[in-house]
Amino acid sequence: MNTLDFSIVTQSWPYLWSGLLFSLALTAAAFVIGMVLGTCLALVQHFEIPVFAQIIRGYVAVIRSIPLILVLFWFFFLVPIVLGHLSGNGRPIPIGATYTAFITFGLFEAAYYSEIIRVGLRAVNKGQFEACQALALSTYDTYRHIVLPQVLRVASPIILSQTIILFQDTSLVYVLSLTDLLGAASKLAQLNGRLVEMYLVVAVAYLAISSAASQCVAVLRKRYALATSR
Amino acid sequence: MHRETSSNAAQSGAIVVVESLVKRFGAFTALNDVNLSVGKGEKIVLCGPSGSGKSTLIRCINHIEKHDGGRIIVDGTELSNRLADINSVRCETGMVFQSFNLFPHLTVAENCMLAPMKVRGISQADARDRALGLLRKVRIQDQADKYPAQLSGGQQQRVAIARALCMQPKIMLFDEPTSALDPEMVKEVLDTMVELARDGMTMVCVTHEMGFAREVADRVVFMDRGSIVEEADPETFFRAPRTERAKGFLNQIIH
Ligand SMILES: Nc1ncnc2c1ncn2[C@@H]1O[C@H](COP(=O)(O)OP(=O)(O)O)[C@@H](O)[C@H]1O
Ligand SMILES: [Mg+2]
Repeated sequence: MNTLDFSIVTQSWPYLWSGLLFSLALTAAAFVIGMVLGTCLALVQHFEIPVFAQIIRGYVAVIRSIPLILVLFWFFFLVPIVLGHLSGNGRPIPIGATYTAFITFGLFEAAYYSEIIRVGLRAVNKGQFEACQALALSTYDTYRHIVLPQVLRVASPIILSQTIILFQDTSLVYVLSLTDLLGAASKLAQLNGRLVEMYLVVAVAYLAISSAASQCVAVLRKRYALATSR
Repeated sequence: MHRETSSNAAQSGAIVVVESLVKRFGAFTALNDVNLSVGKGEKIVLCGPSGSGKSTLIRCINHIEKHDGGRIIVDGTELSNRLADINSVRCETGMVFQSFNLFPHLTVAENCMLAPMKVRGISQADARDRALGLLRKVRIQDQADKYPAQLSGGQQQRVAIARALCMQPKIMLFDEPTSALDPEMVKEVLDTMVELARDGMTMVCVTHEMGFAREVADRVVFMDRGSIVEEADPETFFRAPRTERAKGFLNQIIH
C-alpha cells in the first residue's frame, strides 16, 4: 500500500480554495434568493391569494419531487430555448453555466424554504394576531414586526439545516462543468492520482463546515428558546 | 329592563353603545339582541357562566369579532366594515387578554413601543418615554429590557396592561385578566386595575373576582346564553340577585 502524501494538497491549495469559495458563494446566493422568494411564496399561500396560491402550490410540489440535478439540466438546456422563442428569432439564448447555477439553486431552495415558512406561519399563536388587531396594527406591520420575526426565529434551526444540505448539494454543479470544492478535488485527484489524500481532505473540509453550522443550529435553538416560549 | 338602563346612559353621554347586537358562529347564536351602554368613566363588570358570550361581547366592541346584526358605537364612531372606522375604534379601546398575548420576541419596552410608533406615528424616543412611564405606573419599570418569558404571569399581565395604555385609549376592555394566573399573582394585577379605575378610566371587565367588582364596579352585568339577564349595582347584585339564573351562578362561584 502506498503511504499517504499530503504535500500534493498543499501544492494545489489555491485551486481547492477557489473551489471552496465557489461552493460558499453559491450557497450564500441561493440562501438569499431562496429566503426572499420562499417567504413571498409562503405568504401568497398563507393569504390564499386566488390562482397564484394554486400555481405556487404546484410549483413547490413539482420542485420538491424532482432531484436537483434534473432541475439543473432542465434549466441549462430548456431556458435558453424558451428565451429564444420569447425573443422572437427562435435561436436559443445561452445564459451561461454560472448564472444557471445561481438561479436554479435559488429557485430550488425557495421551494424548500417556503414550505418551512408556510408551516411556521400556521403555527403562530392566534392570540398574537388578536393582540395586533387590538393595538390597531396594520396587516403589514403585523406580519413585518410580529409574525414573520417569530416564524423565522422558530424555524431558524430547520432553515439552517436545510442550508447545510444546500451547501453539500452545490457539488452537483459539476454537471454544468463548474468547479466547486468537490469538483476541484476530483479534477486534481484524476491528474495526480492521489485520490485518497484529495478525497480525505475534501471530506474533512465538508465535515468541518457542516459541523460548525450545526453548532450554530444548536446555539440558535438555545438563544431563541427564550424569546419564543411564552 | 336593561333597555331602559341603556338608553338612559346613552343620553348622558355614553362612550360605548351596543344596540340589538347579534353575533352568530355558523348556526349558533352567541349573542342575541344584546343592549349595553357604557358611560364615560363608568366601570362595568361582566359576569356569567362559561360560554354565555362575555368574551364575544367585548371582542365585538373592538371588532376582533365581526357582528352580524345591531349597532356598536364607540366614542361616536359606528363600527362598520370600513377599515378607517375599525382602526379608530381600536385606537380608542385597549384590550387585555386572559393569556396576556405579549410579543415573545420583543422586550417588555418594545412590546409597549411598537403600536404607538407604527399606529400613532410617535418617535422612538417618545415611545420609549411613554412606555417607561406606564411601566412605572404598573410598577415594573425595572423589567423594561427583559423578555416576557423572563417574567412571572402577574408581571406579564401588568406589561400587557401597560402596552394597551401606551396607545392612550379611552376605554379598557379586560377579558378574564386574572384567570390564567397563579392565585398569589391575582392581587398584583387587580391592584393595578383598581388604580386604573381610580384614575377615571372607562372599563369593561369580564371577571369573576367579586372583591374587585364590589370595590370598583358601577354596575354588574350578568349574561347567560348570549343575552344580558340582569344588571345592577354590585351590592344589590351580589346580595339580592333577582333572577334564578344569577342566583345559581353566584352560588357556583362562591362554592
Ligand atoms: N370562534 C368561534 N367559533 C365558534 N363558536 C364560538 C367561537 N367563539 C365562541 N364561540 C361560542 O360562543 C359561545 C360564547 O363564547 P364566549 O363568548 O367565549 O363565552 P364566555 O367568554 O362567556 O365564556 C360559546 O358557546 C362558544 O363555544
Ligand atoms: Mg371568555
